[in-house]
Amino acid sequence: MFRQVVTRIAGAVRSTVIPRNLQQPLAATQVRGYSAKVEETDEQFDARWEAYFNRPDLDDWELRRGLNELHGHDLVPEPKIVVAALNACRRLNDSAMAIRTLEAIKDKAGSHKNIYPYVLQEIRPTLEELGISTPEELGFDAPESDKIL
Amino acid sequence: MASLMRLSVRRVASSVSRTPKRNFHDKLYADRLDYPAPNCRFVQEAELSAEMQALKVKERGDWKALTQADKKELYRMSFNKTYSEMRAPTGEWKYVIGGVCIAIAVSGVIYGFQKAYISPPLPHTMSDEWQEAQLRYQIAIRNGPVTGIASQWDYEKNEWKK
Repeated sequence: MFRQVVTRIAGAVRSTVIPRNLQQPLAATQVRGYSAKVEETDEQFDARWEAYFNRPDLDDWELRRGLNELHGHDLVPEPKIVVAALNACRRLNDSAMAIRTLEAIKDKAGSHKNIYPYVLQEIRPTLEELGISTPEELGFDAPESDKIL
Repeated sequence: MASLMRLSVRRVASSVSRTPKRNFHDKLYADRLDYPAPNCRFVQEAELSAEMQALKVKERGDWKALTQADKKELYRMSFNKTYSEMRAPTGEWKYVIGGVCIAIAVSGVIYGFQKAYISPPLPHTMSDEWQEAQLRYQIAIRNGPVTGIASQWDYEKNEWKK
C-alpha cells in the first residue's frame, strides 16, 4: 500500500520536475560544453570593436565600459577603432572622454614613443572634423602642481 | 611640517569626497591608470554650477566653437587628474625617509636613556681583568688542544704560537 503511494508520487514528480527532453537518451552527436578557445584574428578583433563603438545607440555606460575593456587588452587600439570611439564621444556630447581616450592611448603605448604620433597622424582628419584638441594642445601633458597628490 | 600637514589634509580631502553630503549608494570617482573611464563624473550632476550647466549645453553644439579653456573646464568636470598628473612623482618618498630616520633617532634616545638610568650595571664577569684571568685559566687546563685555545699556545716558550 505505502509502496504504491510512493512509486506513484515519484512518477508524478519526475514527469513534472524533469523536462521531457532530458528523460530521453541523449543524441550521439551532441556538442559538449568544453571551454575551448575560440581564436579571433586581429582583423576580427578590430572589426568587432569598431562596430561596437559605431553602434548609433551606444550609451554613456557602454562607451565607458568599452574604453575600459579595450584599455585592458594587451594592445594599443588601431586608429580606426579610435576614430569610432571619438565619434561615439561626439554623439554622446562628451568632449572630455574624447581627450581622455587620446591620453589613455598615449599612456598605453608606454615606452613605444612612435605609436602615439602614428595614431594621432592617422586620426588627424577626425580630430579636425570634430574639433577635438589633443591633450598636448590643452597642456595636459604637463602635470598641474595642485593636482599632484 | 606645514607641508606635511598640507599633504595629509589633501590626501584625506581627496579620498573622502568633495561635498559633505553624499550617500553610500552614490558612485565613487577614482582616477586609475588601468581604467581610463571611471564609472561616474568627477563633478556630480547635482553639484554643477550654473556656468558649468551652460558649458554643458555649449558642448552639445559644435566642439570647434569651444575654446581651449572651455575644453579644459569640461575635462576637469569629468575627470580629476590627467594621466600625466597620475604619473607625476609626488615626492612622498622624502617624507617616508624622513619619518623612518626620526623613528630610528627616537628609539636611539630611548635606548640611551635606559642604558644610563634604568638598566642595572654589567655583571663583574664583563670586566677586562676577569676575562684575562678566564683566558689564563683555559690555557692552564689545556682546553681545546686540537683546534681550540690550547692548540694555539706554546707551552714550552709560554707564549702564543707564531
